[in-house]
Parts: sequence; structure tokens; C-alpha cells
Amino acid sequence: MSITHKGYKSPSMQVLTTDVVIVGGGAAGCYAALKLHKNGLKPLIVCKGLVGKSGASIFAGNLVISGHLLNNSDEQASNTAEFLIKYHNQFLIDQRWARRCGEWIEKVYYPELEEAGLYFRRDDVGQIVTSPGKIRSVAANVQGNSGVPFMDLRRKQIIKAGIPWLEETVVTALLRKTDGSVGGVFCLNYITGEFSVVHARAVIMATGYSDRLHARSTGTREMSADGIALAWRVGATLVNMEMQWWHTNDIAHPPSWQRMQVYPNPMLGSEKSARMVNSAGEEFFNQQQDDPLAFGPYTVQLKALAKQVHAGKARYDGGYFAGFDHCDPAEVDNYTTYGKTFRQLGLRFPQQLVETAVTSHYRQGGIDVDTTTMRSSVPGLYVAGGVGGHSNGLIGLATYDGNIVADSIARDFPDLTCGAMLQQDIEVESRRLTQLRQSSSGGMTPVEMKEKIRALMWEKVGVEKDATSLRSALDDIERIRLELLPNMHISNQDKSANYEWLDAIDIVNMMDACELIIHSSLERKESRGPFFRQDFPLTDNDKWLVANVLKKSGNGMRFEQRAYDLPFFKPGFATKDNFEVTW
Amino acid sequence: MTSTYSPTQSTPDGRRFGRSDRYDTLAARNLRLTIDDKIAVRIRRANRDDGQIFYQDFQVPYQKWMRVLDALNWIAENEAPDLAYRWFCGSKMCGTCAVRMNGREILACWEAVEPEMTIEPLRNLPVIRDLVVDRIHYENKVAKLEPWIERTERYEHFPEPLTHKQMKEASKALDCISCMCCYSACPVIGLGDLTNFAGPAPLVQLGQTALDPRNSPMKVKRALALTGIFNCISCYKCEEVCPASIPIVSKIIEPLKAKTAQLIPEMAKHSLALRAIIATRGRVDPSALMLRVQGLRVLSKIPRAIRLFARGKIDPIKTFLKIKTEASEAAGRILRRRTATK
Repeated sequence: MSITHKGYKSPSMQVLTTDVVIVGGGAAGCYAALKLHKNGLKPLIVCKGLVGKSGASIFAGNLVISGHLLNNSDEQASNTAEFLIKYHNQFLIDQRWARRCGEWIEKVYYPELEEAGLYFRRDDVGQIVTSPGKIRSVAANVQGNSGVPFMDLRRKQIIKAGIPWLEETVVTALLRKTDGSVGGVFCLNYITGEFSVVHARAVIMATGYSDRLHARSTGTREMSADGIALAWRVGATLVNMEMQWWHTNDIAHPPSWQRMQVYPNPMLGSEKSARMVNSAGEEFFNQQQDDPLAFGPYTVQLKALAKQVHAGKARYDGGYFAGFDHCDPAEVDNYTTYGKTFRQLGLRFPQQLVETAVTSHYRQGGIDVDTTTMRSSVPGLYVAGGVGGHSNGLIGLATYDGNIVADSIARDFPDLTCGAMLQQDIEVESRRLTQLRQSSSGGMTPVEMKEKIRALMWEKVGVEKDATSLRSALDDIERIRLELLPNMHISNQDKSANYEWLDAIDIVNMMDACELIIHSSLERKESRGPFFRQDFPLTDNDKWLVANVLKKSGNGMRFEQRAYDLPFFKPGFATKDNFEVTW
Repeated sequence: MTSTYSPTQSTPDGRRFGRSDRYDTLAARNLRLTIDDKIAVRIRRANRDDGQIFYQDFQVPYQKWMRVLDALNWIAENEAPDLAYRWFCGSKMCGTCAVRMNGREILACWEAVEPEMTIEPLRNLPVIRDLVVDRIHYENKVAKLEPWIERTERYEHFPEPLTHKQMKEASKALDCISCMCCYSACPVIGLGDLTNFAGPAPLVQLGQTALDPRNSPMKVKRALALTGIFNCISCYKCEEVCPASIPIVSKIIEPLKAKTAQLIPEMAKHSLALRAIIATRGRVDPSALMLRVQGLRVLSKIPRAIRLFARGKIDPIKTFLKIKTEASEAAGRILRRRTATK
């Protein structure tokens, strides 16, 4: 396709113009698109995977109910907020945003989803089935699989609304207008090998929080921290990049099942949840008994596991077990998919437990945003969902962001101009990608380099780290960048469905994001929640109950601190050994 | 440019999957190999840019509980970095890694490896490169069916009145991850443009909303009219391969056929006529079926009917005079009882 636009000509480049480009087709991106459409604007989704079929949103196992939905008591409503702020974000969250979010989920989100047809699992007499306890959740059709019908519904809503998308298309650069504001994206459809330039008045980054930067990561194949790297390159401020969450009981073998979780959350229609057992056969964690308020008990689990690791009774990459051997099979099978993994491995269910390991999960931090507008620090660049640095993930929160960003852009729209783009940037990007595809220096393949980065992140920037391991990781990345990258070798230089080419593009983003994470990890001189610094074992609310803000300056970076308001919940202590902190 | 992979290109060693008695349980399939055993993997490679098609062999060391996807990842990391295969989640949720292993459709992330396995792309879809197929034909079919609900009554509040009993069939369909294993296995889809059959996966997608009591019957009718659903021969190939274990024929297609017969009887003319003939005669009578389905047009086929009669293939005496038999009463009783209980 040959389209001429604003004087730039290229035989193999598609040039499109729209009101708003959304980078990402998960919960936040899809909802932003739907709301923008409703607001009378023209959105276009660019999705590196398939809209509603890739990204972390499909993994939403549970849907937490907030406020007084489904007869939640005052106490349950308050517990849900406390859980979000304390266990889910370790107080590194704007509590007023959390409250607005909860109210919206109660009043708008659930009714809207049901009206559009999402099926919340009922029993035969018509009651919605919930998990009992201090915090309750529901499921879309089946617990453990809620994200699939949820995101499938979003995909169909996008089709119904006639919103255009570019799928299996990776955004490789944010394009700036002559005034420096972001006004479009450069992308590659890696199935056809075609470049596209999309002009827009605003760009929403909605690439999610679950990047595959560690040897074991929960993100989907295509997630390589593109959103972080792209935003950083145009000068966006980042925050709390070190705050990495972990899944503590994901399947240890095979490697492709590294994100398959033995869900620790309360089960629907049962008082029980999965239990975890060390190599000596001793139970060391069971959510419903150990910490009923930790609905998503990932941090509590991780701390419990660390103690086992220190005692030599487990490893972070295996050697401990999880399962449902204390449950009746029907209790698990009634409303959940939890038995499927065990059965598929040929294990007797529920009698046998399965070996589990730690997996890098959500990154709490990300692009710094104003939570009332979802603007980043760069004009024209907005954020929605997990790639933002304002909260840790839940599919409802990500959706709320989509709502806020769409309304914010609708308000800003008259002032957003469709200015001329820097043509030079487009040409440079086109050349850079073509050169990457033609890498033939006989060195490492892109996939080998990806695995090398993931391995070093796991080893040196894993669950437990200190200044020495972090600095060593920085050295390793620099070596990869200076020595391995220039000699990278792509064996097949075809354009269509060339995943080597895609991997090569990803590597550059991964390295940038890893460096930012490591620098941020060095900066936070405490341990907090899932962030374990061996050289700073205390949780330090005096000095570090702050946002760890990372700003770009010239060719380098600088850190600033920003305090959090604590209007509703407070930690209640100054400093304490992180392993003694319940959250 | 794209090469469409037709069923005739199947390899001679096709359909070995699970044949051996020793390997037919899930436990056995996960225990037949030990760490570092060599797996013989043969992959069909297809290159869009130069149109080449060939099979390539690899020896892959077995890892604990290895899935087909792990074998593909190992090959890409160690032997063939340019191997193209699609996957996103690795945990049976995205439904994008479906391939054929030894002649049978599987999800690569879900299925245990076999000691010897031939991996090929799905059938009935154009191959873009190696194991990557073009999903767009399927996606367009689904979009045409407009698989969303249109309410006849205003939505009041959350939660709305609804029971799991009412949603039982739709709920099964909601397990669909659109991996297209069934679409590849369907012999009617394999006929290409000879029929207007939508195929099992699009019907399951439609079933999610068409079997939902909240949906408007007019909306369901419009969608069903586009499905060519009576081309389904109920061979159960789709159910056999579904990684989500959806009872595609019994719980989705059959109820949808019943709905079609009720909402658009002319689409079900053949099936309804057959049913009525069995109810009155207790047997299938091809001549009666022809008469009922074709009506007066059957007159143009008299010369053919004479030939068939001469060869003893049809029996007009039976067709016109021997309607009531002992079997007819029993069949009538059974079919009437089934209708009454529905």
C-alpha cells in the first residue's frame, strides 16, 4: 500500500490518521477505546498480540467485588480497600484514587459488564457464587478462567463498535511533533513485515504490567517492556520501577507452564484454598488460615517462602509443592479450573501436590501519571492500566484507568493539535528496524540474547538482591549492549512472520527497561513488601514511604522522592524487619 | 503467495497419537519419557517469501513434563532460530498455539510431547509461514455472526435474575478459547466452498450468546440464518480434538440446530422431513424424503427414478402404500415422548 502523507513517501509504508492511538489491547486499552468511541472520538488500537487474547488481562482468575456489591458488609467493603492499599501496594498508592476506583467498580463496572452479556457464575437457583471470607470475589463463568470470557467480550465489543485495530503489530517508537509533544506511533506488522505510521492527537500507552524480563515471568510472549522503554525514550518520568511482584506457586515444570498458577486465593463456594508444603512435607502457607485479609496473598506467600528458602526447605525455582489435597474434589471442581493442571500432568487429583516455583509477576511501578487525568509528564502521551506507576494490578483497576483516560482526552481534545511530525524520526526508525532485520554478524541469535537477559535478571535482580548483585547485573547488561548486540545474527531475513526480527526489536527495549529497574532498585534503600534488599532488610516508613521517581535528564537520569498522602490507612510503625511485616 | 494446507498433504505417519495401549492415559503420556531422552521431532516448514515447503528433523532432549511448546521453544533457541510459530500465554488461555501433532489437532502448550512427533500447521486455513496460519478467515466469519447479545428488555440492575440452569449450554461455550483445533479437524470445512457451513468454532462462538436466554430471538435468528448449520454431519471430530473439552456437537451444535429448526424451519426442511418420515414409518425412506424436500421439482427427476426402480434401489409400493408398520408405532412413540419432554 502506498499512501502519501504530509510529504513523506515510502512504497512499503502505510500511513494512517486517527484521533487517538491506543498501544495495547488488554483490559485498559480496550476500555479506553470503547469509552473514546462513546465520547465521539476515533480511536485506533495497535496490539502487539491479538486484541483480548494476549497480555495479562486474560489471566484474571477472580473478579474482586468492592463496596457493598452483592450484600458486602461495611467490614468487607473496608477490607477490600485495605487489602488493595496494604497488601497489594504496600502503601505506595494514591489512596484517594483507590477510593474513586472502588466506587466506580461498584456503580458502573459490574452493571456495565453484565449488561453487555458477561456471565457471572450463578448457582442453579440464581445466586451469584462468591468466595466467602473477609474479602469476596466472583468469577466470569469459571474461577481461574474469568479473564478469557471477559476479554473475549471486550474483543467483540470493539468489533461491534467498529473500532479499527492493527493486530500482531508492534509499536517501535513514539513519534513527536515539532513542538516535542507525542503525536503518533511508528509500528511494524510482524506478520506481513509492513511498517505503519499512525498520526494522532494523543497516544495512550496501555501495555500492561507483566513483562517477560526474568527467566520465569508471567507475562505473555510478546510482553517485553515496550511501553516503559518507549515512554522513557521520549522523556516520560517513571516511578517505583523496583517494586516487582511475584507469584509464589506457579508450576515448576515444564518451562512453558511457568505462569500456570496454583491459585492461592479463596475458592468460590468453599471455605478452603490451596496449601503450600516445603520439601520436608511441612505446610507453610494456607491463605484462608494464615492471612484471610490477604485476598491475593502473594507478598505474604513470598515472605513465607523466603523463610523456607533460608531454612533450606525450598528454592525459589522449585523444591516445594502446592495443591488441594485437603479438599474434596467436587469442592474444587464445582466452580474452578484448578484441577485441570494436575490432571493434565497425570497426577491424581486432589491427592497429589505439584512442584511449584516463583515467577516474576506484576510490576507495581511504571510510567508516572496524574491519576485524575492519566497524563504522563510528556504532552500528548497518556497512560492506562498496568504500565502506569500508580497502582498494582487488578483487572477492574486497569479498566477504571481506561475510563479516566478516555474522559480526560475528550476534555483535552480541543487543545490537542494534529501538528506536523518530525519526518527525520520516521526515516531514522525505518532505517533502524531494517538494519536490525539485516543483522548478520555471526554472533548470538536474538532468542539466545533474550534468554541471557532473563537469566541474569533472575539470578541478580530476582527475589532477593543487594547492591553487589544489582551492580553486577548492570555490568552484564552493558556487556550485552556493547559486545553482543552489535554482533547479533538473524538467520532468516525475510519480512513476513519473522519472529527473530521481532525478538531483536524486543531486546533493545528489554535492556533499557532492565537498566531502569536495576537503577531504581539500587535507589530504594529498604525492603518493602515483595521488594527484598538483603543489604537493607528493614521496611523504613520514615524515609521510604515515598514514590521513587525517576526522571530523564540529558542523557542520564536522576531520582526524586515524592511523599504519599495517607488519608485512610496508615502502616502504624516507623521501621521493622520486612519479614516481620504482615504485608 | 500463501500456501493453503490441504488435508491431502498429510504425512504417511499421520494419526499415531495415543494409539499405543501403553500411552492412552494422561498419566502414561506424562511418564513414557525420562529426562534427556531424545525426542524425534519433524516439522513442516513453509516459507512465504520464496514459497518453499519442506520437512525438517530435530532431536530434542526431553525435559520434565515437557509440552509440545517446550520442544518448539528448544528448537528455536538451539537449532532453528527462524522457526515461526505463534503462542502468547503458554497456559491454555489465549488459544493461539494450536498445531497438528502426528495428524491430530492439539494445543502446543497443553499437550505432552510424543517420543516421535510430526508437527504441522492447522488445516483449512492459509499458512503464512511454518506453523503460523492466517486467522483472518475465521475471525471474519465470527464477526459476521455478530456474537453479542441484544436485549429485548431493558437491563435493570446488577445482579440481574438469571440461573446457571438457564446458562448451562452457553456456559460450556464460554470455555472456548478460539484455538481453531475443531475448525482444522472438521471434514465439512475441509470441503471448502462446496458448503456454506460456518464451522464448529464459529458456531461455538455464536452459541455463547445464541444459547443465552437474555438474547433476543430475532437477533439469534439473523445469525443462525448465516451458519449453514445443517451441513454439520455430527461426526464429532470437533469434540474429539477440543482442548477445552467442550461438548461441541451435543451441547452446542445440536441445541443450535434445534433453535434453527424452530426459528427458521425452511433451513431445517431436510432434517424435519427426515424426522417426520421416521416418526410415521419407523424407517428412513429415501423416496419419501425426496418427495417432501423437493416437492413438485421431483417430477423433473422421473427418468432417474425409473432407472433407480429398475435397479431395485427404490420401492414405490413401500413408499406409497406400506406406511404403517410395527416399527412406525414405536418410532412415533419415542419421538413424541422426546418432543414432549423438551
